[in-house]
Amino acid sequence: MKQFLATFFKDLLILWRDRAGMLVLFVMPMALVLVVSLVQNNVLEATGRAAVKVLLVDVDQGYVGQQVRQRLADSGGIKLIETVEESPLDEVTARQLVAAGDYQFGLLIPAGLSDGLQTEVEHQAEQLFRSYPDPEEQNEALELKVKVFFDPTVQGVFRTAVLSSLRHAFFGLETAEKGRELSQRLKQYFGSMKTQESEQQLLGGNAFMLIDEEPAGGDPALRPNAVQQNIPAWSLFGMFFIVVPLSGALLRERQEGTLRRLLTLPVPYWALWAGKTMAYVTICLVQFCLMLLVGKYILPLFGTPVFELGNQVSAVFLLALSAALAATGYGLLIGTLARSFDQAAMFGAVSVVIAAALGGVMIPVYVMPKGMQLISQISPLAWGLDGFLELFVRGGNVQSIGSNLLSLFGFFVVTTLLSLLVFTRRGRSGG
Amino acid sequence: MNDVDQTAEALLLVEDLIFCYPGAAVKALDGLTISVPRGQVFGLLGPNGAGKTTAISIMCTLLRPNRGQLTLCGFDALKEAKKVRSLIGLVPQDIALYPTLSGRENLHYFGRLHGLSGIELKQRTEECLNLVGLLDHADRAVETYSGGMKRRANLAVGIVHQPQLLFLDEPTVGIDAQSRNMIIENLTRLKESGMTMVYTTHYMEEAQQLCGRIAIVDHGQVIAEGEPQQLVADQPDCTNLEELFLQLTGRTLRD
Repeated sequence: MKQFLATFFKDLLILWRDRAGMLVLFVMPMALVLVVSLVQNNVLEATGRAAVKVLLVDVDQGYVGQQVRQRLADSGGIKLIETVEESPLDEVTARQLVAAGDYQFGLLIPAGLSDGLQTEVEHQAEQLFRSYPDPEEQNEALELKVKVFFDPTVQGVFRTAVLSSLRHAFFGLETAEKGRELSQRLKQYFGSMKTQESEQQLLGGNAFMLIDEEPAGGDPALRPNAVQQNIPAWSLFGMFFIVVPLSGALLRERQEGTLRRLLTLPVPYWALWAGKTMAYVTICLVQFCLMLLVGKYILPLFGTPVFELGNQVSAVFLLALSAALAATGYGLLIGTLARSFDQAAMFGAVSVVIAAALGGVMIPVYVMPKGMQLISQISPLAWGLDGFLELFVRGGNVQSIGSNLLSLFGFFVVTTLLSLLVFTRRGRSGG
Repeated sequence: MNDVDQTAEALLLVEDLIFCYPGAAVKALDGLTISVPRGQVFGLLGPNGAGKTTAISIMCTLLRPNRGQLTLCGFDALKEAKKVRSLIGLVPQDIALYPTLSGRENLHYFGRLHGLSGIELKQRTEECLNLVGLLDHADRAVETYSGGMKRRANLAVGIVHQPQLLFLDEPTVGIDAQSRNMIIENLTRLKESGMTMVYTTHYMEEAQQLCGRIAIVDHGQVIAEGEPQQLVADQPDCTNLEELFLQLTGRTLRD
């Protein structure tokens, strides 16, 4: 036990004095989570919550423009920009600005659109109330086109979201116009007891079929957002990066002859191994706690939601411990297998980045192609992240993350046994 | 020079050691046999690749020989490695220390692994640092030491637990004359205190100065063994140990 503790404290002291290693272990994951959460928070807002800026060139200057402005302002999803540097926009300037990437979307309401809409609605209503509608005229409906131009770098989902909002606004406007015309025709033919207000209420009032959004199951206090997902994801990434300093430390001991000296001491090798493992597990756990604090206290300073730990603190700790053990076991294996620092640093770092990408740290697993979703199941980061999301987003408990805990702990056992096996074989043969 | 009774019971008895590294065509040790009585400094000399470090590794229980016997302080070292490890100390060829820890922290760590603690650990640490002349630099990180200071710290760690048998694998390689002289003085003091040592070196004058008995090893075998002066005297055309060494091992480069 004394020898275990001596090794534990020795390795902590060495890590503490390794400033570059500390930067990799603590500052890098914190910087990553800070940057990625802020970036993703902005993306989420751009695709859902905050207004997207769209250049509006209203050549028509009529009723359609007024209505579109009103409807988009009400929805809050899109903010229309009609002047740039205090000059009204024309089509050429707007296209140039969008093509240059200064704005992502432009909307052009061509001249005569309002009149065209009015004419077409009246025409259709007339057709409807005619005793013998002319089938040829029915097929000659006008096509009233509104132009939307976009920055070619804008990705599909974002483009679809903005176009949907615009289509929604124009469809609502067209429906309202048709309804108003229909109502007038009905009045002409049958007379009406309805007041002007009740007619407006029916045709242009607020929608009464609403979409109520809420997470399926779990703790309603734990709202899914960029912070709730990024804190555990990048914490795991940082924890697994322990592979780089740990494998480096093992190689240094091997190459500088310290291991040779250690092996001539009357100390069971498991005590040295366990002392080192626990030192690095402790570092991983400290790193994890710091990441939680970043989510709780630092990210909100930049306008993100506050990270919520939930009420399953012991389950969170147990999962963090399992992940730390898995990361340390992997570091031990890399450090044992590698023959040089370059091998350990390159393979260690690259394999962690691949495991993170597969595990859903960078892109959620559910948006991956089916094949990649299957492959992602072999990543320990996927087991850890799934467990943390279960606790932080889905409101799970220690029972519901049982398989995640077992998988991570099993990974630790397998990697540790493998590294001991390789080490023992090499030791016996002098390799 | 040799004040140890050769007929006394051997503290270290190596018999017919054979060892071959996996994949190697030639045996690293091919029937190596030596005997070291208590209190003697035994020099193991040989060109590069002669098998000195392999022999030390087996004697320190780091490697298992393919064949042979190894008895240390009466224990069969191949069967009772753990008991043997508490009786031996190793000063390896490399600076086997943690560079970011201070000299004192390194001694404390290795001392604790040897089971020392409390006042005894503190006392032994101070004694060893004092012996190697590092007491004034004990709290500096080893990485800031000069080459000679590192070698001395390496020696201090090897003796912190007062081993009965100390293995020194080229402990003065790559340092200046002053540091080398200090290490030789330290080792002479340890010899006077009765510590048994097995010493490998490429410096013949060191071996002549320090060792009561030497074995010249080549191709994994002992090709000459005896007191240094006697070995030189037995070869009429050699005036010193270096000439004898070159005569026995040849002038061809060993890379």
